[in-house]
Amino acid sequence: MRSGDVGPCCLPPLLLPDMEVQSELASVGAKHLQRCINDLVSLLALPAVWSGGDPSQVLHTLLDALMRMLRLDLISVTLTDPVDGAPVEIVRLAERKGPMPSAHDICTALGHCSNNDSRKWPPVLRNLMGEEDVSIVAQPLGLQGELGVMVVAAARKDFPQQTEALLLNVAANQTSIGLQEARLLSHQKRVASELDQRVAQRTAELAIANEELKRELAERKLVEQALGKARSDLAHVARVTSLGVLTASIAHELNQPLSGIITNAGTCLRMLATDPPNVDGARETARRTIRDGNRASEVITRLRALYGKKDAAIEPVDLNEATREVLALSMSELQRNRVIVQQQLADDLPLITGDRVQLQQVILNLLRNASDAMSTVDDRPRDLLIRTELDENGQVRLSVADAGVGFDLHAADRLFEAFYTTKNEGMGIGLSVSRSVIERHHGRLWATPNNGPGVTFSFSIPCESEGMTRDGTRASRIPLASDGA
Amino acid sequence: MDAAPRAAHSYGMELRQERRAAERPLVSVVDDDESVRESLPDLLGEFGFAARAFSSAEEFLASDSVDQTRCLILDVAMPGMSGPDLQRELKLRRRELPIVFITAQREETVRPQVLEQGAIECLFKPFSDTALLEAINSALRLK
Repeated sequence: MRSGDVGPCCLPPLLLPDMEVQSELASVGAKHLQRCINDLVSLLALPAVWSGGDPSQVLHTLLDALMRMLRLDLISVTLTDPVDGAPVEIVRLAERKGPMPSAHDICTALGHCSNNDSRKWPPVLRNLMGEEDVSIVAQPLGLQGELGVMVVAAARKDFPQQTEALLLNVAANQTSIGLQEARLLSHQKRVASELDQRVAQRTAELAIANEELKRELAERKLVEQALGKARSDLAHVARVTSLGVLTASIAHELNQPLSGIITNAGTCLRMLATDPPNVDGARETARRTIRDGNRASEVITRLRALYGKKDAAIEPVDLNEATREVLALSMSELQRNRVIVQQQLADDLPLITGDRVQLQQVILNLLRNASDAMSTVDDRPRDLLIRTELDENGQVRLSVADAGVGFDLHAADRLFEAFYTTKNEGMGIGLSVSRSVIERHHGRLWATPNNGPGVTFSFSIPCESEGMTRDGTRASRIPLASDGA
Repeated sequence: MDAAPRAAHSYGMELRQERRAAERPLVSVVDDDESVRESLPDLLGEFGFAARAFSSAEEFLASDSVDQTRCLILDVAMPGMSGPDLQRELKLRRRELPIVFITAQREETVRPQVLEQGAIECLFKPFSDTALLEAINSALRLK
C-alpha cells in the first residue's frame, strides 16, 4: 500500500501525531483490506453465477461487479473471437457529474500506443482528456490475450491502487475462465447438436430406405399376385374359349330334352282332356318327361364339370371314362360338322394321376382341332379315330387321328407355340396350353403326319404308380397354375 | 297358357272328328334326337294325324313313307344328310312335300334360308304344340 492512497480526506501523514495517525491509518487500512477481501471473494464466486455458459451473461455480471467495486468510470470489453452471439464489444459508462471522455476517445488514446498487441500496452496509461486526468488500465483476457481485452478507466490520479490492480487482475482471470468455459460448453453443445443432427439425418435416411423397401416388397407381392391370377385366368380362358365355340352345341344339347319335355307335357294335357281321358297315354308322357328332365340335368352337370372355375384337383383318373364324357358332350358338334367318330379305347387301361378337368380340356382341344382340320374336306369321309392304349414305355397314351389337310412340316415346331394359329377365328392358345398341361402331368404331347391324309396328335402320361402319389409326396409333384412354376 | 291348349284342343278335336271318316293324314318326323322322336308322334296322334318317326334322312328316303307323307317335320342338323340336304334331295326327286323344319340351333341364318327354299315354317326347339299344329295345318291347306 502506497502512502497517500487512502482517500480524499486524508492529510499528509507528517501533520498528524505518529501514534494516532498510525492507528488511524491502521484501522482505515484494515477496513480497506477487509473490503478488498470481500470484493475478492465476490469475484471468485462469480463462476457460480456463470454456470449457464452464456458469454454475454459472463460479461454483464463482470462489468456490473467491477463498476461497483472499483468505482470505475468506464469499462470496455472487446472479445476477439465472438462466440455464439456474445457481443464483440461492451462498454459501460458510469454516471458522472462532469463530462467523461467517450469510449471512442479512450480507444483512440489506446490506439496511439501504436501497438495493437494488448499484451504490450502499458499497464497504466495516464491521459489528459479534456479537464480530467484519466487513468486507463488494459487487461488482456485469456492466457495470451487471445480471448480479448478489458479496458477500464477512472478519472482518478491514484487509480489503480494496489488492491484495485489485484482485483482487476483476478477479475480478468475469472473472466477468462468464464469465457473459456462458455466457449467449451457451446462447442460441446454444437458438437452434440451436430451429432444429433447427423443421427436424425441418418435415421431419416434409414426410414426412407425402409419405406422404399416396404414399397418394393408390396409391389412385388402385387406383381406376384397378379401373375398368379393371370395364370389361373389363362387356364380358365383356355377352358372357356372352347365354351364360346361350343355355345351352339350347348344350346343344341339342352334344347333337345327341353323340347321333348314341352311336347310330352302338351300331349299329356290333351290326353287327359279327352272323354274318357287317356290315362295310360298320359302316364307314358309323364315318364318321358321325367327322363328328358334327367337328360337335361346330365348335360348341365357335364358342362359344369368341364367349364366351372375350379382349382386343380389331383386324383386318379380313368382316361377312357374321361374321354367318353368329352365325346358325349361334343358329339353333336362333331356330327354337325359331319365328322365320323371311331373310338378304340383299350380295356384295362391303367389309371393315371392328375387333374381330370384339365386333361378333358386337352382331349376337347384335340377333337376340335381334328374337326377343324377336316372342315374343308369333301372328297373323302371325315374320319376321326380316338384311341387309348398302354404304349411300349408303359405309359398311358391317347391319340386323335384325323383325315384332314395336315400341317406344313416347316411349321411343325410352331404348332405348339402360344398364339400360333392358322384359323381365322382361332386364338392359338389351345395347343400351347394343352402341351403345358400334359407336361405338368409329366407327359408328352406331339403330332405326327399320317401315312394317308391328316395328322395324329398324341399325348402320353405315366401311370399312377410311376407318376404322382395322391398326396403329392413325389419329389416332382405336378405344379399347379398358382405355383410359381 | 291355359287358353291356347283348349282352343287348339277343340280345333284338334274338330279335325280328328273330320278325319275319323276319312284317312288320317300321315305326318312323318325325321330327327336324330330320341326325345323328339318319342314325343312328337303321340302329340300328332292327339291332333288327329297318323305319325311315323325316322332317325335319319336316309332312313326316311329308304322307306315307303315318302309318297304317303302329307307333311314332313324335319330336324335341321343331323349327322349324315342334313334337313336342308333332304329338302334339296326331295326337290331333285320331284317329290316335294310341305316341310316344317324344327331346330335346336338359334343361328339367325337358318330360318330365312330354309324358308327361301320353300319350307312352310321353321320352328325353334322348344316350340309349343299350338305353333306346331298351326304350321302343319298351313302345310295341309296347301294341298
